[in-house]
Amino acid sequence: MNGLWLVAQREIRTRVRTKSYLISLAVSAVLVAALAFLPKVLGGDDTYNVGVVGQAPPPAAQLAYSRWPDEAAARKAVIDGDLDAALINGDKVLANGELDQRLGLVLESAHRDAQIKAAGLTITPLTVESVGADARYQGVRTGIATLIVMVLFFLLIYSSMFVAMGVVEEKGSRIVEILLTSVRPWQLLGGKIVGLGSLGLVNLVVVIAAGLAASFATGFTADLPPGMGGIVVSAVVWFVLGYAFFSALAAAFGSLVSRQEELNTVLTPMTMLMMLTYLTAYFAAVEPTGTVARVLSFVPPFSSMVMPVRTAAVDVPLGEILIAGALMVVAVVAVLLGAARVYRRAVLRTGARVKLGEVVR
Amino acid sequence: MLEIDGLRKRYGDKTALDGVGFTVRPGEMFGFVGANGAGKTTTMRIVMGVLDADSGQVRLDGRPVTYDDRRTFGYMPEERGLYQKMKVAEQIEYFGRLHGLAPAAARSATAALVERLGLVERRDDAVEALSLGNQQRVQLAVALVHEPAVLILDEPFSGLDPLAVDALAEVLKDRAAAGVPVIFSSHQLDLVERLCDSVGIISAGRMVAYGPVGELREREGRGVLRVVVRDAAPGWADGLPGELTREGDRDVLLCEEGDDQDILRTAIGAGRVEHFGRRQPTLAEIFREAVA
Repeated sequence: MNGLWLVAQREIRTRVRTKSYLISLAVSAVLVAALAFLPKVLGGDDTYNVGVVGQAPPPAAQLAYSRWPDEAAARKAVIDGDLDAALINGDKVLANGELDQRLGLVLESAHRDAQIKAAGLTITPLTVESVGADARYQGVRTGIATLIVMVLFFLLIYSSMFVAMGVVEEKGSRIVEILLTSVRPWQLLGGKIVGLGSLGLVNLVVVIAAGLAASFATGFTADLPPGMGGIVVSAVVWFVLGYAFFSALAAAFGSLVSRQEELNTVLTPMTMLMMLTYLTAYFAAVEPTGTVARVLSFVPPFSSMVMPVRTAAVDVPLGEILIAGALMVVAVVAVLLGAARVYRRAVLRTGARVKLGEVVR
Repeated sequence: MLEIDGLRKRYGDKTALDGVGFTVRPGEMFGFVGANGAGKTTTMRIVMGVLDADSGQVRLDGRPVTYDDRRTFGYMPEERGLYQKMKVAEQIEYFGRLHGLAPAAARSATAALVERLGLVERRDDAVEALSLGNQQRVQLAVALVHEPAVLILDEPFSGLDPLAVDALAEVLKDRAAAGVPVIFSSHQLDLVERLCDSVGIISAGRMVAYGPVGELREREGRGVLRVVVRDAAPGWADGLPGELTREGDRDVLLCEEGDDQDILRTAIGAGRVEHFGRRQPTLAEIFREAVA
């Protein structure tokens, strides 16, 4: 085990010191934060500026009042566009052209409430009960799910590529021959996967933290659905499982070649599988209740991205999540064992590309 | 004591090793010599466990070598390999840790080696910034950092300037003097002859000659008498057994039989005797003959 930690430590130390790691970390954090700000920027302000002259109306949601000395000043402000409307002595509204329909309804209702209250009557508002699923957060949840797809895909492919590149670096430079006289193949492979995976995890946590911090800063948190903690935990856990799966594949394929130039070709099956997982997960984000999304959220490795997306987009029973998780764990163990076998047999065979068939038997 | 016994290895239908065996005692420096592709690297890789033999055994002090034994070996592979972007001292220390040294021990061993191998000014440079000769020194340091119990070096002298060769030779002698069996391969036969206690010559996967250097030269000389005579009249050796050749203006007579005193008398009578003795071929001559 000690060997594995030493290898992992070296991977982390070497990588953290590079500029590219710090830059990519910063860029991804900024990007996600910007995405969290986006709804506010695009949605604009959803309160109306209403000028008040004379009698002050009762406070109402969506209305921001400002006092004006007389009607003439308020009229000028409405014409200049500083105000959406002006309320004169509680019973006259000044508007620039036609009054905004929604604003009209709000003002009308406030006006009516005030008169009813003045007449000494009390009214009970309508109670609304939803008989369908709670759809209030649907838009936000779909947005979060889409964001999770992108972040997971980016981090998975990025971390797995680094594992593959590291394997080829050691094989190509023949340093693996000395390494394997002091550590066992599984320690070398495991250390690389654990080390680079920890960095990927750090990256994920930073991205999530940046997104949440930006949401707090914009006051967007009020719109976040309940159970946000569960969504975050699920994204992290599924990232770890997905990373273990894909990085083991990347290491196995990477160990077949001795030169970085050959890496892209040999990794094609893995990248294809990853792209396919990405596309299905993207599809699941758009249509989280569809049969395809439901079925694929159980099938490894698709589940590694589809399930967190489903969890974010809709409520998934815990039992389903656990079954999908168990299946994925089984797949991860199988892939790790297979990859260790391929790696052990291929990594010392330098020179021409090793055929997969020669090393799996 | 390191015993290599009956190693066989085939790649497809090509036989790489066909029963290679030799023994290296503690403190003995063993020179491993052979043409390219003869099987030196394959043998060393099998000793290091990087490659598995089809049959045969490597034993240390009578027991088959285990993975844990090998972690105490020092190895310099034929294909040099270092992390190009890692700093010199950091790299040496890392390998020390991988070989099981505690952090403090790895640090002090690294400091000592960096000093000894003349890398002090380069200790914080990335390996890729070093000259090939200096990279080779780092490679050697990586093989030595954990005070190995056995040293296996594949072509450690190739690409080194004469000064670096001397420095490396000193280090190897030191290790051998400390009781470590040292095996190294080389094409520089004069160097092997000068440094090694014993030599093994491998050809096409078989050991064709093997033993202490002095013994080998004597044995390979096969007791042949070599007489060099100058200014002798042609035909002077007609009555003697053996083979007469001319090297420049000297006659060289090689005799495998006959009475040496008779031969000497005849030679003195014929001209000026410049050399008279049992032939002791150089390692290069033995090598050429053995692999021919």
